[in-house]
Amino acid sequence: MVQRRAIQGGAVALVTLASIAEVNVTLYSDHITWQLTGPAGWPWYLALVDILPGSAFILAGLVAWSLRPRNRVGLLMIGVGAGLLIGSHAFEWRLAAVGFGPVVLDVVGIVGSLWPVVLLHLLLAFPGGLLVSRLDRVLVRLFYVVVPLAALLPLVFGSPGLGDVSQYLPVFDVVARAAGFTYLAFLAIGSGLVIRRWFLGGRARRRSMSPLLWAMGPYAVFLLLLYAALVLRALIWHVSSGDFWLVLLDVSPLFLAGVPAGFLIGLLRSGLDMSSVGDLVVKLSGGLAPEQLQPALAHALHDPSLEVAYWLPAQEWFADLEGRRIELPTPDSEKAVSVLGDPAGPVAALVYDSSLVHEGQLVDTAAAAVRMALENARLQVQLRAQLDEVRQSRARLVEAADSERQRVERDLHDGAQQQLVTLLLSLQATKTEAMRHSDPETARLVDANIAELKKALDELRELARGIHPTILTQAGLVPAIRSLTERCPIPVEVKGDLGDARLAPPLETALYFVVAEAITNAVKHSKGRRMCVSLGRGASLAAIDISDDGVGGADLSLGSGLRGLTDRVAAVGGRLEVKSGQPGGTTIHAEVPCE
Amino acid sequence: MRVIVADDSVLFREGLARVLEGAGFEVVGQASNTEELDRLVAEETASLVILDIRMPPTQTDEGLVAAKRIRRQHPEMGVLLLSQYVESHHALDLLGQSPDHVGYLLKDRFADLGEFIDAVRRVGNGGSAVDPRVVAQLLGRKRSHDLIEDLTDREKSVLALMAEGRSNDAIASGLKISPKTLEAHIGTIYSKLGLEPAGGDHRRVLAVLNYLRSS
Repeated sequence: MVQRRAIQGGAVALVTLASIAEVNVTLYSDHITWQLTGPAGWPWYLALVDILPGSAFILAGLVAWSLRPRNRVGLLMIGVGAGLLIGSHAFEWRLAAVGFGPVVLDVVGIVGSLWPVVLLHLLLAFPGGLLVSRLDRVLVRLFYVVVPLAALLPLVFGSPGLGDVSQYLPVFDVVARAAGFTYLAFLAIGSGLVIRRWFLGGRARRRSMSPLLWAMGPYAVFLLLLYAALVLRALIWHVSSGDFWLVLLDVSPLFLAGVPAGFLIGLLRSGLDMSSVGDLVVKLSGGLAPEQLQPALAHALHDPSLEVAYWLPAQEWFADLEGRRIELPTPDSEKAVSVLGDPAGPVAALVYDSSLVHEGQLVDTAAAAVRMALENARLQVQLRAQLDEVRQSRARLVEAADSERQRVERDLHDGAQQQLVTLLLSLQATKTEAMRHSDPETARLVDANIAELKKALDELRELARGIHPTILTQAGLVPAIRSLTERCPIPVEVKGDLGDARLAPPLETALYFVVAEAITNAVKHSKGRRMCVSLGRGASLAAIDISDDGVGGADLSLGSGLRGLTDRVAAVGGRLEVKSGQPGGTTIHAEVPCE
Repeated sequence: MRVIVADDSVLFREGLARVLEGAGFEVVGQASNTEELDRLVAEETASLVILDIRMPPTQTDEGLVAAKRIRRQHPEMGVLLLSQYVESHHALDLLGQSPDHVGYLLKDRFADLGEFIDAVRRVGNGGSAVDPRVVAQLLGRKRSHDLIEDLTDREKSVLALMAEGRSNDAIASGLKISPKTLEAHIGTIYSKLGLEPAGGDHRRVLAVLNYLRSS
């Protein structure tokens, strides 16, 4: 606090000093006149140029600093203002008049040359006050070194400025050229960085940066064009620039006088006031659904990109409202994160634009206001995640049951069925042998065994087919359904198709058993005379309708057959519907999501 | 007649080979998977391959795929596919590619050895053989507008035997009717069902099966 007061006092003193430097206090014998002028013969506007922008920056910086003490923006603004004043012609002239030597004046000149870099630093750090991007940090540090060097070298080689090229030594020509291009590169790269920051920034940042760009834009454009023209004229066309150009160059900082206002407006816009949190509390008292929490917080904190991530203790990760996992962004990116609640067992985390970092207190206040609602929403997310878990586990159970059925069928096929068929072959050989030995009695006995064995094989085959139809794995759903209809004792018409690509095995199995059960039910209960199976496939859905012209009366709540089918279809994310009326028979509609 | 046998069960292969040799066939090779089968088919000159539809490694339809490949690469070699289940889909899949030199039988067809040997011989000689169970299933299929119901029982028997891939001589002697009577029956069947008369026994099999499956 003491330090802050000291800096504020120092800044005010600096402004006063600079103003005194500008204002010639001429003492006459009989009265005192105040005169706004610089060194003898300097026009009045140069005094304005010297005093206005720097003072405006310092004053606005002081305001910003007292509004946002923890934000470096205020200090940077004071820095720009100080640089502007120190670098002013009048200050230098004053010092010279007081009697300081050329070395002191050169040092002052170099310090004064730093203000454009501080301004760039300010622009890139605005409104948070910190350089977020690594590229920004590296380039700004580089400019803090390179730009004073570019100012220093021409001084070392004895030049009074860029304006009058004709009197310079040849070596100075090279140095001046390098310095000129360094300035040009600094301006171009600096503008590029600011534009990049604008485009990379979130909406919250753009909102606070926009008044700034309106204030800075004219100055940047004017300066860029002017420097380009001067460098071209002096170094390429070798034309010495006249008074007009020098005046332009001299008054260009006047544009800067309006910029601090832009910074202040921008800072205030980025500034979130407690009133928005007040609105949030009012909304909460009206009852906020979990879905409305994120928009309400985003609105209160002026950051549409704000996200709420809820902590799931069972999974030990953050999730959105749907229970989908969210990775929190790492610090030092364009996003900032506030974790709410006990770090060991957090409630939720807010992910927001990094430009809000310096509004930590406000973010905390807003978060505290919605704490209960967040707890509530988190429980809901937890429930949804558990539901999702249950859904997946049901799908896994059904899949496991299906693959178990497939395994049983395979065991029957490779085991019992194969052994019985081999036995059949062996009995045939025995029979041939018996015939060869003219033993018709044995041959007859063997024949009887063969007939029994064939019956056993038939039964075993039907059993295995019921457990898992191999045609389904071998040829797909449509041939398997056709195979069902070929065995059906009432006529079944199959219409439509399911496209060329096969469905995923769990979907095929689910739909197959729907059709099989529906046909069995219709044959047993409907008293219908014909059935129809219609197949259809869209971009994301496969659907099957099985209808009969029987008496209807089928009901999902009656009988475990249809109930089981509903569960089976739901397990693959699908839906089963039974429409059954007295006239018009029964229609079973099943649909499953597919790619 | 030289025969190659392919099945992943050695007991079954041996049993089948013994039955075939007992019936006068020469079993020139046995394969337990489709790679061995391909090698045997390339090395041995055989008239016929008898193979199981389910073969390693996935035990789904490797046999069917191999059968179609052999038919494509060796058009003169017959292929008889065996299965624990018979599906009209597979029968038409196989016959649709080339209706001659092809057979599709249920494994327990061995219960009637005479019929099985007859089918093997037919396929080996370039004909076709479709398991009676496939035909019975298709014939017995219930239809909304059933033209099959217009056929007499005798005509239905003729139609079934045609669908199994039997020649006119075999049908006539099996039903104990004269070739002339048989031809009259066949003519009636074609006109009642609205079928175009197809040339050759095996073309006829495909036409009849297709009719039975789609009508």
